[in-house]
Amino acid sequence: MNLGEIIFLITIVATLGGAAMAVLSGSIVYALMGLVTTMFGIAGLYIFLNSPFLSMMQILIYVGAVSVLIAFAVMLIGPLYRKPKEWTTIGKFAAALGVALVSLFMFVRFVMETFPRAANPSFKITTKEIGRLFFNNLVLPFELISLLVVVAILGAIMLALFSRGNK
Amino acid sequence: MTDLLYNNQHIYLFVALLLLFFGIAGVVYRRTLIGMLVSMELIMNGAGLNLVALNRFVSPENGYGMAFTLIIMGIAAAEAAIALGIIMLTFKKYGHIEGGDLKEMKD
Repeated sequence: MNLGEIIFLITIVATLGGAAMAVLSGSIVYALMGLVTTMFGIAGLYIFLNSPFLSMMQILIYVGAVSVLIAFAVMLIGPLYRKPKEWTTIGKFAAALGVALVSLFMFVRFVMETFPRAANPSFKITTKEIGRLFFNNLVLPFELISLLVVVAILGAIMLALFSRGNK
Repeated sequence: MTDLLYNNQHIYLFVALLLLFFGIAGVVYRRTLIGMLVSMELIMNGAGLNLVALNRFVSPENGYGMAFTLIIMGIAAAEAAIALGIIMLTFKKYGHIEGGDLKEMKD
């Protein structure tokens, strides 16, 4: 086991530990920290998958934008400490575990056995080729993403500004 | 050199599957709307990891998986913005963001 494999195992442990912390922790702030840990772990896995551009985008968009947005919401929502903590009943925990385990066992055969074990092919998709792909074949989804983001920004502003009070 | 641990396709797929597992469990288990949103982000991250791993190992000659992972990132950002707007509106109207108590959203 060389150094790369050790770092790989540490990355996987950070990813799954962050996911478990995001689901199981009692405080919403700790859940947010677990989400950030998971996103950093996935950025590391993208580097192991030979796509450093996606890793940078993961850190930039998820850690830099989405997590900060959720942190702002946690701060703006106000006193969550008046309520008791996020502990729910044991029945709800059993239901969540059951639903998630059923979906896991439904998907595990499909995901693990449908796609053949490839013999480590060489992979040299660079950032330049992703850019060419976006501007040659995927022009319509690219433009639709920009339209979606603009509409989402306008909708968020409309929701936050013009619908206060009990009209 | 072909049997290095990080060149194994199934490890990535299983990590993505476990992220889906944690996400579904969190959507059911969490009580507040922000917790559910965090779990949804976990599910989207798992989907992106799955796409990139299959792109790397099954069809390495083009980059469609990575492109669609970038599209998923854009959709996740837009979805988080809209969802947080709705959550803040809910808090302003009801004073709490408990998912189980929102029974009068009809009017």
